[in-house]
Amino acid sequence: MTESADVVVVGGGILGCSVALHVARALPKARILVLDRGPIAGATSGRCMGHLMVTPDTKEEYAFSQTSVRMWAGLQEEIGGFDYNPTGALYLADAPEDLELLPVLQKQFSDCGDTAAILDQKQLREIEPGLAHDLPGALFYQGDGVVLPMTACSAMLRLGQRHNARLETRPGTEVTGFDGIGSRMTAVRTKHGTITTGNVVIACGVWSPAVAKLAGIAALPIVPRAGNLAITAHHSTPIQTQLLEVSYIRFAHGAAKVDPWKTDEDQGGHAVNMQPQSAGGCLIGSTRQFRGFDTTLNRELLHRSLLRAQRYAPGLLGLPIVRTWVGLRPYSVDKHPFVGPWPQTDGLWICSGHEGLGISLSMISGQLIAAQMTGTPCAVDPTSWLPRRIL
Amino acid sequence: MTRDAVIEADVGVVGAGPGGMAAALRIASSGLSVVVLDEGARPGGQIFRQLPEGFAHASPPTEPPSHGAGHELLHALTGSKVSVESHATVWDARAPRGDDLGCLWFEQGVASRALRCKAIVLAPGAMDRCVPFPGWTLPGVITAGAAQVMVRGYGIKPGSRAVVAGSGPLLLPTVTALVSAGVKVVAALESAPRRAALRALPGVLRSGARLREAFFYARQLWRSGVSLQFSRAVFAVEGDGRVQRAVIGQLDREGNPIASTAKTVDADVVCTGFGLVPSIEIGQRLGCRATWNEARGGWHIEALDFGATNVDRVFAVGEIAGIGGSEVAIAEGRAAGELVCAQLQQRGALTHVRDRSRAVRAAADAMLRAFSVPRGVYSLVKDGTIVCRCEDVNAKAVRDASALHGDSLRAIKMGCRAGMGPCQGRICAPSVQAIASRGSTRAWDEPVVQIPLKPVRTSTILDAPKV
Repeated sequence: MTESADVVVVGGGILGCSVALHVARALPKARILVLDRGPIAGATSGRCMGHLMVTPDTKEEYAFSQTSVRMWAGLQEEIGGFDYNPTGALYLADAPEDLELLPVLQKQFSDCGDTAAILDQKQLREIEPGLAHDLPGALFYQGDGVVLPMTACSAMLRLGQRHNARLETRPGTEVTGFDGIGSRMTAVRTKHGTITTGNVVIACGVWSPAVAKLAGIAALPIVPRAGNLAITAHHSTPIQTQLLEVSYIRFAHGAAKVDPWKTDEDQGGHAVNMQPQSAGGCLIGSTRQFRGFDTTLNRELLHRSLLRAQRYAPGLLGLPIVRTWVGLRPYSVDKHPFVGPWPQTDGLWICSGHEGLGISLSMISGQLIAAQMTGTPCAVDPTSWLPRRIL
Repeated sequence: MTRDAVIEADVGVVGAGPGGMAAALRIASSGLSVVVLDEGARPGGQIFRQLPEGFAHASPPTEPPSHGAGHELLHALTGSKVSVESHATVWDARAPRGDDLGCLWFEQGVASRALRCKAIVLAPGAMDRCVPFPGWTLPGVITAGAAQVMVRGYGIKPGSRAVVAGSGPLLLPTVTALVSAGVKVVAALESAPRRAALRALPGVLRSGARLREAFFYARQLWRSGVSLQFSRAVFAVEGDGRVQRAVIGQLDREGNPIASTAKTVDADVVCTGFGLVPSIEIGQRLGCRATWNEARGGWHIEALDFGATNVDRVFAVGEIAGIGGSEVAIAEGRAAGELVCAQLQQRGALTHVRDRSRAVRAAADAMLRAFSVPRGVYSLVKDGTIVCRCEDVNAKAVRDASALHGDSLRAIKMGCRAGMGPCQGRICAPSVQAIASRGSTRAWDEPVVQIPLKPVRTSTILDAPKV
């Protein structure tokens, strides 16, 4: 069977869905297909946390992340239905020596023109009574939030369909190759037939390198980084605010200290991230480990992360865990996602490699792809995310 | 008394129902040590459930002949060397491998414990299969299994006027239990057509015990004046905050409701049972292969002769290997016990126990084939009918999710969170895909297993013995 589309998005995770939404908005008459080998939101976006996180490490990162988080608030206003909860985030100090990290992080926010408040022990307990009583203090940043990623994918697609009735999903459609004339993309081949198209967006997360290879990109440097997660039963969260260890910042956003290609050597690390869910449970993360595409649960790492979590929220000990699982983050080796055109092939686009910030950064990423595709202004300067940097 | 966090036995058995008890007794009789882990307060399982310790029925509910075997097993258990750990929820498992012992991690009260063993026999039983209809979430609608637990296990009368509806051999004991508890059964509705009962006959005739059982129920029904009506179902349940009325009526050949036949009866309890679904997650966790057979309740662990699975020294007996009832569970439990002993004591296994388990299983299959859930009954579901109770997801949300995300169980779960709650889809999975696919007869997807196999406290996971 042969059909045609103006834009084919390969990958129905949060990034593919955001691309579809933003392209549908920009091109309300275009035919847009979202293909996925499995279900929509069936892989990483269905196995991750839903942190909307503003990262103030640099002014540039702040611009990307803060713009994206603001766009999420807009998505909530326009359609909702994805358990949007602007809880803010508490960056917790574990011991008195951690307290010196709080002003450092606070200064990062203020250097970006934003604010965050340092809380002492007493103020902390007023905001979050479920925390351990001996915690010395924390930084509270109001701008962060939580969403349920898989229903956020639905919401993006449904809103996209409101703007453009020709936006369709094709779950269960595996891409087998691409056709081109010269350096111009002309078609996507799938197990169910060929789709002629002038524009293909690769948004396959950890599987992006494999799909990109089919399109002639030899080595897109994205590696799976596994995370163990656990969730408590309904009506049993020890906390109401999103929690992070203040050391999370160094741990999650610094470059990996291990070689991502040598998967046998990574013992894995963990830092507490806890998210209250609107259904009343609590999502507990997170661990990081390079071990290829293996998604079997690492009980040792799970143990370590639960142990750390109950140190901050002791009430967790008596609460039931209903499920644990593993998701694969698409780790980009230079720590920047790939969002933009692939310069060697006209009509080939990449939107992938956001590691643990894919949910958070999906809105801005989709906007950047749509803006570049249609020649309209980008919401932020896309330069440092352009895929051409690896050429 | 403090109990050891880690205990050891030659054999670990999961479940103290008929299959687990039969296996454990056979194993203990040959001098091997055996520990049974059971979720209940006392052994017996769902079918031979005992009253809580220290209680007795003022007037015992009428028992079918098959319960004689239950009393024998329970009696034998008390006089045996079998050690039963009650209130034990198994939440993770590892199969024995080479010289490494297998391990069953379990929560017991507030303790986190583990059982190490050379062989594992799985007899975890099954869950009621629910089919949603408008009003099925009203208080007063209970499963057939729950009705029996209330009457037999706790001496509780679930209501005064009951409608019993569903499909399969479990309806009869439900009616009998209710009647013996003094409940007026105003209607007993089998959704399968009368010819299904005739198709089930050969399976009944092949087993003397099942024939006696059938005569018992026929007599009980006749005495109580309740007659089982075929091709009928509950279309809806109504009431202000709880069950007050049931709308009942006739089904066509495909199981679709015939609206013109609907009539309303007063009732304060509605018991529904559309057969059972095997609890397979522990088998999957151990690496056992699951296979699909509608007559056996859908996905079940593939068990060969003597209950052997594709995993060395892991055995599956009774409902986990496919719904078959207590007679099958006992025969398979004995057969698995025999092979476990033979393997651990390095001798040949006696074949007559295997032949017996083959025969009763074949008879059960022949009977249960007659009672597959007719797809048409899912057309009772309205847009607003709740399908996933844990997450309050209605049928429209399920269909919308399926259209956008895909029609696999996982896709629907991602699109509307059906199956994400405490039961992890064990209750709604059969309905979700049937509703999404609007009456297609395909199998639902094999459930994905994750630890904990059942919800357990964080402290249980943290304190898990490292073995």
